[in-house]
Amino acid sequence: MKKLIVLLMLVSFPVFAHEMTPTYPKLTPSYMDNVYKTTMEMFNKRNDVEYYEIGVFDKDWNPIPFVTSYKIIRLRYLGHVTFDVFIRKADVGRAEYICSKSKLRKDSNTKTAITSRICSRFK
Amino acid sequence: MFNKKMFVIGSVLSVITAPVMANAEDVPINGTVQSRCIIQTDTSGVFGNPNAYTLTTTPADGGQKAVTRVDTTLANAYYVEVTAPSSFSSSPSLPDTVTWTGDTTVKTVSDATNMGSYETNKVEFGMTDKYDLTATGSVWFETSSSATMGGNKAFPGGNYTALVNVECIAK
Repeated sequence: MKKLIVLLMLVSFPVFAHEMTPTYPKLTPSYMDNVYKTTMEMFNKRNDVEYYEIGVFDKDWNPIPFVTSYKIIRLRYLGHVTFDVFIRKADVGRAEYICSKSKLRKDSNTKTAITSRICSRFK
Repeated sequence: MFNKKMFVIGSVLSVITAPVMANAEDVPINGTVQSRCIIQTDTSGVFGNPNAYTLTTTPADGGQKAVTRVDTTLANAYYVEVTAPSSFSSSPSLPDTVTWTGDTTVKTVSDATNMGSYETNKVEFGMTDKYDLTATGSVWFETSSSATMGGNKAFPGGNYTALVNVECIAK
């Protein structure tokens, strides 16, 4: 019976997950003067989401300017991506959070959809 | 004669190819174990339409509550904020203002001993419920939502989408 329940859970309930690491990224000097960088990794196991928006914020959730390859990253289902985020040296002290937020398509048929946002913290 | 020749050719070929075949490549599989928060959409909600002016996720009214699972692998590293919808992200043109109600509760936990107080210790502000994830493991959050059209006017026919926002934020 236990085996059956476990099997049913595995078969009936697919998992749609969003994750970003590390939890506590470090900003280190980049190859450019007065610019710091950190490297983040994301994994998309949500088959209803293909795009994630990156943001950097201070402790009061005010946006901080940053540069990355794309602010909205296309990440296909089961895809991994590693991306660098560059921040000015002047903003390093203010930068508190780096977040990725799922972007849902307007033509989604789901009536109550779930948006997910994961924020790592600079320490 | 033919067999002898074939034997010689085969032997020579096997000697030539042997080093190549023996030189097998090791294909690395790399992995790093580190702390993380994973947000999983367990069940997308559905609005039931019990009367002309109400949309609700209440199961008795034909709706379905949204369920989200959050996994953490490091205790005391994250908090979670779950926000019930307070507007439609897409809908037909509406004839009046909509009043929203919503709430989030802990549905299930993987570790009843260390997570049992999550629901009682949560902080509520507006439509947002904040949970401190003090233990490692999984938590399932269930979010209900209701939208009522002002003046008891009917919701126009069409597709309605509202978003439950789940955030996992490092402390």
